[in-house]
Amino acid sequence: MSYYAEKYFFEDETTIEANQRLAEGKLVLDWFDVDAEKVRVVPSDFNRGLTYDDCNVGGYGWDAIPENIRRNYSMAARGSVLVPGLPDLGYTLNRKSEVWSNNCAELYEESKSRRWAPAVDIDWEAVRANPLSPPCTHAMRQLCTALLEIALGILEFPGRWVFWINQEFLELKSLHCAQMIDQARHVEVFRKRAMTIGGLGRASVAIEQAVKELISADTYTSGSLSVFLMLNSIVLGLFRTASSASSVDAKMFRLCMQDTARQIAYATGQLRFFLGEHPAKSLVLHEHLDQTEHVMVGILAAPELLEPLIVLAGGGTSAAQVSAGRDKVLAMHRGVIGEYLERLASVGLERRGRTRLEKVFS
Amino acid sequence: MSYLATTDFLDDKDFVDRYLYTMRTGNLDLSWMNAATEHVEVQAANKRRGLTFRDLDVGTYGYTELPAISRGASSLAPRGAEEPAGLPDMNAGTVRKADVWAYNIEGYYEEAMSRQWNAATDIPWKQLCETELAEDIGKAYSQLLTFLTEVEMIATDVPSKWLSQISSDYFEVKNFIATQCMDEARHAEVFRKRALTTGYGLMKASPQNERNLKFLREADSFAEASTTLHLQAEGFVLTMFRFSEYLSPTDGDKKLFRLVMQDEARHVGYGMQHLKWHLENAPESREIIHRHLAEAENFIFGGIFAPEVLESFVILAGKGSKHENIRAGVDVVNRFAIQQVEEYFERLDKCGMPERRERSTLWQVIEMAKAGTAANHA
Repeated sequence: MSYYAEKYFFEDETTIEANQRLAEGKLVLDWFDVDAEKVRVVPSDFNRGLTYDDCNVGGYGWDAIPENIRRNYSMAARGSVLVPGLPDLGYTLNRKSEVWSNNCAELYEESKSRRWAPAVDIDWEAVRANPLSPPCTHAMRQLCTALLEIALGILEFPGRWVFWINQEFLELKSLHCAQMIDQARHVEVFRKRAMTIGGLGRASVAIEQAVKELISADTYTSGSLSVFLMLNSIVLGLFRTASSASSVDAKMFRLCMQDTARQIAYATGQLRFFLGEHPAKSLVLHEHLDQTEHVMVGILAAPELLEPLIVLAGGGTSAAQVSAGRDKVLAMHRGVIGEYLERLASVGLERRGRTRLEKVFS
Repeated sequence: MSYLATTDFLDDKDFVDRYLYTMRTGNLDLSWMNAATEHVEVQAANKRRGLTFRDLDVGTYGYTELPAISRGASSLAPRGAEEPAGLPDMNAGTVRKADVWAYNIEGYYEEAMSRQWNAATDIPWKQLCETELAEDIGKAYSQLLTFLTEVEMIATDVPSKWLSQISSDYFEVKNFIATQCMDEARHAEVFRKRALTTGYGLMKASPQNERNLKFLREADSFAEASTTLHLQAEGFVLTMFRFSEYLSPTDGDKKLFRLVMQDEARHVGYGMQHLKWHLENAPESREIIHRHLAEAENFIFGGIFAPEVLESFVILAGKGSKHENIRAGVDVVNRFAIQQVEEYFERLDKCGMPERRERSTLWQVIEMAKAGTAANHA
């Protein structure tokens, strides 16, 4: 333990007196007339329920969060009356521009309304009833193994940072919690998919090296950019390509895609917010990307991921099938890189002409 | 960067050439088709329940056969996959099954996934928004909601801190933690939204209880953190939810508390089953847990009488702030406080720590309080 109470309360007269006073019904009521901001929010649309957007009012809203949080390092709810004695919980991410995105409350609400459960929302009986061809079965098992490694890595990222993010950014932290459950769901569904058709395949050194580099970013902003935007741009492309394997897979990957798309939407919004506040820091991010973009090659070209994807996209291992699969995967790779660069350009980080990726994927 | 991959893939000529060759010729290696893994084809034992983690508990993929220690480097390789040389070490600090595992962990996870709910749409906001609360009740309820909003997300911060430190071999635990984080985010959301619909907003923060939160954040190990967070703190809050449901000013509020209760009960369940597992498989930790609980109980005693928490409860329990209401409320709240502590010790009994009572000052204090209450009633 590195933190102890300032007193041993069992022997503290003040605490014991407070106990006795309460038992006698003598209330202090110092909270009763605190100068709280009185509001009564109502849903703007009762069909949609009461959303966080409806609660974005006055001192309670996120619009009122200053760039630098100086007054509250505790978990006291934003807008509540702060009193002396609130502890410093050790939050290190206290600048709004470093973490915030204007869409995080909306994405959080969406994540709840689009929740799904792999145990029951995937037709596991249909997987058995409509088996893939033997080479495609092998390929699906291997693809799911690679996707599991990536999903486990992405799951760790919000976990690494939530603890350090100031509680004033409640909606953002809540979105991170939604991202964690999304990733847990992906871990679950890919494992189940592989184990219904033979089990897992081979782990990939290249993929794991790449994922570890991405989730180990020094700062939250560069990590969010690396994991939620760069890595997920790849993941989205993989999901899209693999969804053609069967009707069950179409549904499974479509459900996964909507989760991943939300993470990309957050990262894009965060980057826009960050660069809006700190345009000069685009240089730092460029340098970060100069260093880390190589991992996109590490993942996309990893044989444990590339080859099963070609087999699945082509429908088998005959020369014609491989040729067809290769064309589709090549188009997907170019699409992934193109969309990734477009997303960056849309928020003011123009990498086209600078990135080394174009040499490989042009 | 705090980690650089062992190769810069763009500079790795062999790696890039192999990719370009594959894409140009279509020559595939396909050695992954011969991965040395166990062949299984699982199916749902109960079709209505779907395919669950319990159905996946087979052979080298399963959790029953997991060794007590996850030896060697901890990579992201999924349990049961073939692990080639060169996988990076994710440096998970928690690699003993005893330190994270719980009986029925797979069940808690699946239940969490199937019982997710939505605070925006599953609460009758229209009814709640149209309900006018008397000033004393409204303020007391808003104060209680302020406290609950304040403390809920400690159960996000703490487990998430440990998530990345747990070996991926225990992914069922990591997945459960992810569901818990989501549950707590939803709780903070629903209490905040309810406070903002009362007309009074959020009220006074609670410094003493916040110091307890700081203590919860700073535990040395996952087992200690879980014992004080899941079992003790969430156990106390679970009892509080039950009383809050009873005291709720409207049916809509009762529904709100019923929904949060089922989540909280799951977290407490995990905490209990983890402590039980931990004590059975790492008996040397018993004294460490006692020491941690002793300080945690000190915090509980210091925070339990924070006026902004218990006084609002008194007014809600007595249904008003007049003298006779307060007398009635104090009786209810005294019973509540005793019940909170008794349930805590009962939970410890069930986890295999019955000796905690005789070592605990909190237990002695509550025994005296019970004697006092009995004397008053006599």
